[in-house]
Amino acid sequence: MPDWLRRHRGLVPYLFLVPGGLWLIVFFVIPMITVASVALQEGSLGTGYRLTFNFGIFGEAITRWDTQLVRSLQFGLIVTVLALIIGYPMAYTIAFRGGRYKNILLLFVIMPFFTSFIIRTISWKFILADQGFVLGTLKDLGIVEQSFRLIATPVAVISGITYNFLPFVVLPLYVALERIDYRLIEAATDLYASRLQAFLRVTLPLSISGVFAASLLSFIPAVGDYLNAELLGSRNETMIGNVIQRLYLVNNDYPQASALSLILMLGILVSVFIYRRVLRGQELTV
Amino acid sequence: MNKHRTTTALAAGALSLSLLIAACGIEPEESDGGGAPSAGASDGGGASQGPSSAPSADAVGGGEPEGELQFANWPLYIDQDDDGNSPTIQQFIDATGVDVTYTEAIEDNTSFFGTIQPALAAGDDTGYDIIVMTDWMIGNMARLGYLEPINVERDVPNFLDNTDATYLERSYDPGNQYSVPWQSGITGIGYNPELVDEEITSMSQLFDPAFIEKYCGQIGMFIEMRDSMSFAMLYNGVNPTEATLEDAEAAQETLLEQAPCVRDYYGNEYAQGLADGSLAITMAWSGDVFQLQFDNPDLQFVVPEEGAILWTDNMAIPKGAAHPNAALAMMDYVYDPEVAAQIAEWVNYITPVPGAREIILQHADEAEAEDDAETADYLRTVAESPLVFPTQDMLDRLFSYKVLDEDEERQWNELFDEVVAG
Repeated sequence: MPDWLRRHRGLVPYLFLVPGGLWLIVFFVIPMITVASVALQEGSLGTGYRLTFNFGIFGEAITRWDTQLVRSLQFGLIVTVLALIIGYPMAYTIAFRGGRYKNILLLFVIMPFFTSFIIRTISWKFILADQGFVLGTLKDLGIVEQSFRLIATPVAVISGITYNFLPFVVLPLYVALERIDYRLIEAATDLYASRLQAFLRVTLPLSISGVFAASLLSFIPAVGDYLNAELLGSRNETMIGNVIQRLYLVNNDYPQASALSLILMLGILVSVFIYRRVLRGQELTV
Repeated sequence: MNKHRTTTALAAGALSLSLLIAACGIEPEESDGGGAPSAGASDGGGASQGPSSAPSADAVGGGEPEGELQFANWPLYIDQDDDGNSPTIQQFIDATGVDVTYTEAIEDNTSFFGTIQPALAAGDDTGYDIIVMTDWMIGNMARLGYLEPINVERDVPNFLDNTDATYLERSYDPGNQYSVPWQSGITGIGYNPELVDEEITSMSQLFDPAFIEKYCGQIGMFIEMRDSMSFAMLYNGVNPTEATLEDAEAAQETLLEQAPCVRDYYGNEYAQGLADGSLAITMAWSGDVFQLQFDNPDLQFVVPEEGAILWTDNMAIPKGAAHPNAALAMMDYVYDPEVAAQIAEWVNYITPVPGAREIILQHADEAEAEDDAETADYLRTVAESPLVFPTQDMLDRLFSYKVLDEDEERQWNELFDEVVAG
């Protein structure tokens, strides 16, 4: 350790923050400022954009795209609940009953990441096509109606997002459950708690930080997701991500797209704070 | 961290934020009129200012091909051998001694424009000597002064000798002052006779609520605003090339009425829907249906009675390009009927050189003489398909997209946004 550093030992923790801090400044703070700046500009690609501090754009964007904003929050909520319902028992089983297979089971959870999620989502399109081998067979057997379809419905989009984000739910839940001292649960049953009571009074509260982390990791990307709606949905499932993508890349309407991105971020932040309140301020420790 | 330091940090943050915001404006190079940016910085080929009316003396070219040609095109849009190289490009290099870098950099008109626009606005070389853009984008870029004027009489004589009247005097670039066609295609209606009881011949069968009820949820439309709006206009009896804002509003109405029965608004992926039976009737591109027919010969492509769209992708030289003479040499080269035939045999879109058809038939005879019946069959299918060489009757019913100015484009986009995002 050089002399000057020895004399200012207090600086060391801040030095450790430098790489991460720089990374955040370059790839988060500056882009955020750019987005905020673009949102307040007016003009077009051809004639150029000028900063006019047009704050009215936020109101315009909300009134124009309210349906899609609300729909995205709804889909995000449904996806989060579904993913918790599916993911919690999975994580519980791996944590408490996995034994020596824990690592292999966890590997299975992250296995889908070995292929691109675009490829996986497109495969769903093939598998569930109207005349594909699943629906085609069911239709031939007369089990479902000829006009029945899954692709281009909310069911397909919500299932697709849930499927894609499930591992992000299972992993933090597993970590939270894994840390629970199983003797606490045994103690509860020794004290005449039923298994359900032991779960509700001991296991669930002790894993609540995992539930919070899992909810964030599924809710936030789910609300902003556009790929599932794009590939598995139709106009009636258009999410705010699709609108932003269209405004940016098709219409080249950068200001409105940026304004919508900021509104979306704010919406997510507010939802997260409310949720945190509901969970009585559990610290995000996972 | 104590309170005082927090406040200081916040104040510093707010200050730098407002400075950055002020510095972030995306502005074009300062130009006198405030309209189209001037092109003063492009000294690559003695270039000129903005759009002018007559084929101009200040066009680029007239010299020897120079340097290494940078050619940006769409994916799978030129002939390829088994190694993925283009024989056409290789022959051009052998014939002229000009090196070529051919990249499939263009996936989409607007997003590609977005990538080269900053350089164009600043008067810099975009790094490309030839770009291939769809007709309406050529119109936009010419209006903004982003394309080098060319002199086809002097530098692209093969074009005038070998093309067809259909490809002269197009609304987006009258007199070919900035561009020459690469390939064209038709946006028409594709349908699957297995799922549709009657023959499809008109736009009513795509839009009329009474008719489409039967195929509700099996109808495909295009996410490309110009395609879908133009189709609704044709159904409404309006010439899309000359449509007004009122016509666009009426088209939106038509599309919204149709929307509940539309399965989705597609890009390229409609072709999969048509192939796998999810779509019964859909807007379709001629080249796609031609290729799908090899797997399912029943699939049909029609130019409705009311008309359809003939779109054209065009080669143009972006402002400030470093090698305009090489670019012009390439433009001239691909209008050699032999070369045009070679490209058409592979890409199956509509070539701007009608004479290519005879040559493809000759190639078929040659293949037969060499006992390669499969190739001979394939080449004959290409030469005889109205999707590659449309009949005059089809051509007579085809319209171009309207070239929209900036305000119109914004208005039309806003109208169409409401259609695709329900």
